[in-house]
Amino acid sequence: MKGAGIDSSQARISADRVGKWFGEVIAVNNCTLNVGTGVVGLLGANGAGKSTLFKMLAGLIEPSHGTVRVFGRRLRQDVGWYRRVGFCPESDALPDWMTGREFLTLMLRLMGFDKAETNRRVDYWLERFELTDAAGRRLGGYSKGMRQKIKLAQAMAHDPDVIFLDEPLNGMDPVSRKQSIDLVRELGQQGRTVLVSSHILPEVESMTSEIILIDRGRVLAEGAVAEIRDKIPEHPTTVALVSSAPRALAGFLIGRDHVVGVQVDQENRVVVSTDHAVAFYRALPGWLLGNGLVVDEIVTLDDSLEAVFQYLTER
Amino acid sequence: MAAENTVAPAGNDVHPMGSLAAAGWLAWFSVREMARRRRLVSLVAINLLPVLVVAAIRIWFPQAGVTAQMLLASLSHDVFMPFLIPVVALAVGVPAIGEQVDDGTIVFTWTRPIHRRAIYLGRLLAAQVVSTLVLCLSLVLCFVVMVTEGPQVLTWDFLRLYLQTFVIIGLGAFTYAALFATMGTFFRKPVLPAILFAFGWENLVSSIPARVQELSLRFHLQNLVTRPESAPQDLPGLLGALLSTAFEREPVPKLQSIGVLVAVMLLSTVLGIWLLRQKEIAK
Repeated sequence: MKGAGIDSSQARISADRVGKWFGEVIAVNNCTLNVGTGVVGLLGANGAGKSTLFKMLAGLIEPSHGTVRVFGRRLRQDVGWYRRVGFCPESDALPDWMTGREFLTLMLRLMGFDKAETNRRVDYWLERFELTDAAGRRLGGYSKGMRQKIKLAQAMAHDPDVIFLDEPLNGMDPVSRKQSIDLVRELGQQGRTVLVSSHILPEVESMTSEIILIDRGRVLAEGAVAEIRDKIPEHPTTVALVSSAPRALAGFLIGRDHVVGVQVDQENRVVVSTDHAVAFYRALPGWLLGNGLVVDEIVTLDDSLEAVFQYLTER
Repeated sequence: MAAENTVAPAGNDVHPMGSLAAAGWLAWFSVREMARRRRLVSLVAINLLPVLVVAAIRIWFPQAGVTAQMLLASLSHDVFMPFLIPVVALAVGVPAIGEQVDDGTIVFTWTRPIHRRAIYLGRLLAAQVVSTLVLCLSLVLCFVVMVTEGPQVLTWDFLRLYLQTFVIIGLGAFTYAALFATMGTFFRKPVLPAILFAFGWENLVSSIPARVQELSLRFHLQNLVTRPESAPQDLPGLLGALLSTAFEREPVPKLQSIGVLVAVMLLSTVLGIWLLRQKEIAK
């Protein structure tokens, strides 16, 4: 099962025509999405509606219309299913009077773990997030990065199958950021569903290629970045080919299937615009071999998440 | 993050945690939270007022004829019931649930496999227990000052009144805290409405004669206090005023007052649970 854009019968998280109004403001408008296993990024600019959608998916906000289900259940009603769900909020609010150890202990006891198992898990996750030395300190004295780590720890400590992470890397130093990204990827590889909300594209790109893109309260696209990129016809994908005979290669490529533009740039690279990158990549080796052409390097210039995001949101 | 993940998957147990167990855990942690708050120091300081009154009478008016029993009844009737209980319950009860919703920290308990009624009951119970403990600490200190007068103070009637006062203060703290917790859950800025209720409505209504005064909680709490037969007339100023105003109300059956207080507590709690179930997280 892949992450985003799957059939609803396979989905662990599903939203069906979900909308949310706050007075006259539409925060989320008629969103439908399905998420399977693995890491999926929920992307959108600030104010796009992703936090509202995120909270609806996690059962913290009731939709104005439509239904949201996790494991086919409505979490607000079937609260027992929170045993299989972890949630890391974006908000920095923590019970500042508690120590890190007390906080994790309460969170695990409320999950139903006994004392011995709770202690074992608390020790493990404090160590995993390098918070063991700070375990006895009050959360009010934690740095921003430490607060972020303890929030992540409480979301993961009970081994949930579905994990919601809302802007999880805020305030972390580069080392912790890298470790957290590795951890998220590891959880995805274990077959868990990790839905990560962020407005920082490189962060999401480093965790996953599966995304749900939201703008102005609507889901613009969902699926793999490359697939989504191919579905943007008004912005052909641009590929640079490095060759020892750039002009011959450029001449050959003009008029080929899925090639909508060819030019040689200042670095003597052949820059090809294609309306179907996947088909172009599939056909290219055959064209080269059949015509004695050599390409030393292929660089895709604008299929990055940032480009996809820009094209879809027209920003 | 050096350790390997050796933690077993959670399995398929998706039954919610028992509400009583969950409420118990939350109450235990919440009591510790409330006990560490700075505002508790202020509350304890305010609650030294009756101790100071007892000490003042014992030091400066030892021959005024004020018995320990009379003093206890007066303090209970005119200091604890109309002032200290509402103040403490307001300060502890109003933020008990509403504050966590406002600052967003309730999200951590909302995403646990427990019903919202358990969350509400756990927090409310903590607020009620903390309010009662603060008030009872004051009462214990009063007792200590009273018994310095000598062993003759420790009569059966005095001890019975003392225990009775404990129970009434507890009942008052539980009722007011339940009401204020509901207000804290309902209002976005609950402190002003709570103050208006405690010192506006309660003052006004409990002063109106006839049955209208029965619409205040204060009346029913004061109705439960056992009154001495007469108040001394030879105390000056504030102390005299305090003791002479204690015995003016038309009583109703005590069972009726207990019933009203318990009913208000239960209805407030049910309403508060319902309100919390409708709440959504803003942050």
